Amino acid sequence: MNKELEHRFVTELESNQNIVHKVCTLYTNDKDSHNDLFQEITIQLWKAYPKFRGDSKFSTWMYRVALNTAITLYRKSKRRVQTQDYDSVIFKIKANEYDDTEERQLKLMYNAIKQLNDVDKALVFLYLEDKDYTEISETLGITEVNARVKMNRVKNKLRTILNP
Amino acid sequence: MLDELELLKKDWQKRDAELPKLSYDEIYKMIWKKSSSIVKWIFYISIIEFILPHLLYLVPSMRNNLDLYSDLGLSNVILVVSIVQYLVIFYFIYQFYKRYREISVLDNARQLTSNILRTRKTVKHYVIFSLSMVLLTFVLLIVGIYFTDNVLEALGLTGKMASLPANEAKMIIMASFAIFGVLFTVALGGIYFLLYGLLTRKLRKNYRELQKLEV
Repeated sequence: MNKELEHRFVTELESNQNIVHKVCTLYTNDKDSHNDLFQEITIQLWKAYPKFRGDSKFSTWMYRVALNTAITLYRKSKRRVQTQDYDSVIFKIKANEYDDTEERQLKLMYNAIKQLNDVDKALVFLYLEDKDYTEISETLGITEVNARVKMNRVKNKLRTILNP
Repeated sequence: MLDELELLKKDWQKRDAELPKLSYDEIYKMIWKKSSSIVKWIFYISIIEFILPHLLYLVPSMRNNLDLYSDLGLSNVILVVSIVQYLVIFYFIYQFYKRYREISVLDNARQLTSNILRTRKTVKHYVIFSLSMVLLTFVLLIVGIYFTDNVLEALGLTGKMASLPANEAKMIIMASFAIFGVLFTVALGGIYFLLYGLLTRKLRKNYRELQKLEV
């Protein structure tokens, strides 16, 4: 029985691991921290897995646990120097994939998002993952109205960064 | 702006191919690793904080204090204070355990943060209580000294302050106890609140952010 549970969990996580990697990309700045956070999220998902009833999709359930771990439970390691060197991680913007302005804009936006606070990052992440405001507000525990207002404020922040 | 964010969304969703890929075995190994979450830290540090004040009684000089209490005629008072103290401590431990059990990663972010902070706050109240008890002990000692005639004898200081008039020696001893008591409490409190602040800084910051209403 237990073996079966382990197998089911690891298989599900393996095929949905992109969600966790994306959270790690937003919340950490180097490869070691990325792996560290990935591991902590995996542990938290596994600990909570017996309570997963399957009335929602596994991926939906993952968003909450992954973000909770990143925002609340994860302790950033103090040993490492925090850098903002976004290019060195993932999401390298490839040259000639976009024209210059578009490429520049994307780069600027990714950089700006990395500098948001933990809560705003979660908001943007769920938005980029195409979640609606109901799901965003339920995941974070804020009202839908507040989620919209916060999102607008983040958009304004990004706008100022793009058009100084 | 909306266009730019839509552009970002499209770009974001196209980038899956660049993400790292972990194998089944790599993930399987991870589920047996120990969590190093903030909740774990808070749990262990809190346990230490519950135990630490009681370890002091194992130090021989602290046990000698018990003799001192009887010499100063404080035995009964100390007994009553100890009983009350232990009742309160058990209440705190019960509260701590109950709140700790309520922490669930399946709650929404605001609820989760709030539950962790509440758990930690129980320990904070316990520490404030312990510090008050330390201070109270010093106050009792000072009162005891005040009502004792042969203070120097009771403290084992016979002959050491013989040059001073008895009353003056008593005042000096009382003042020293008062100063030491306050410094001791402040030092303990300082260390604790520094630790408390460091452990919960991130939580408090995010909690404020989640509670803040944007208008």
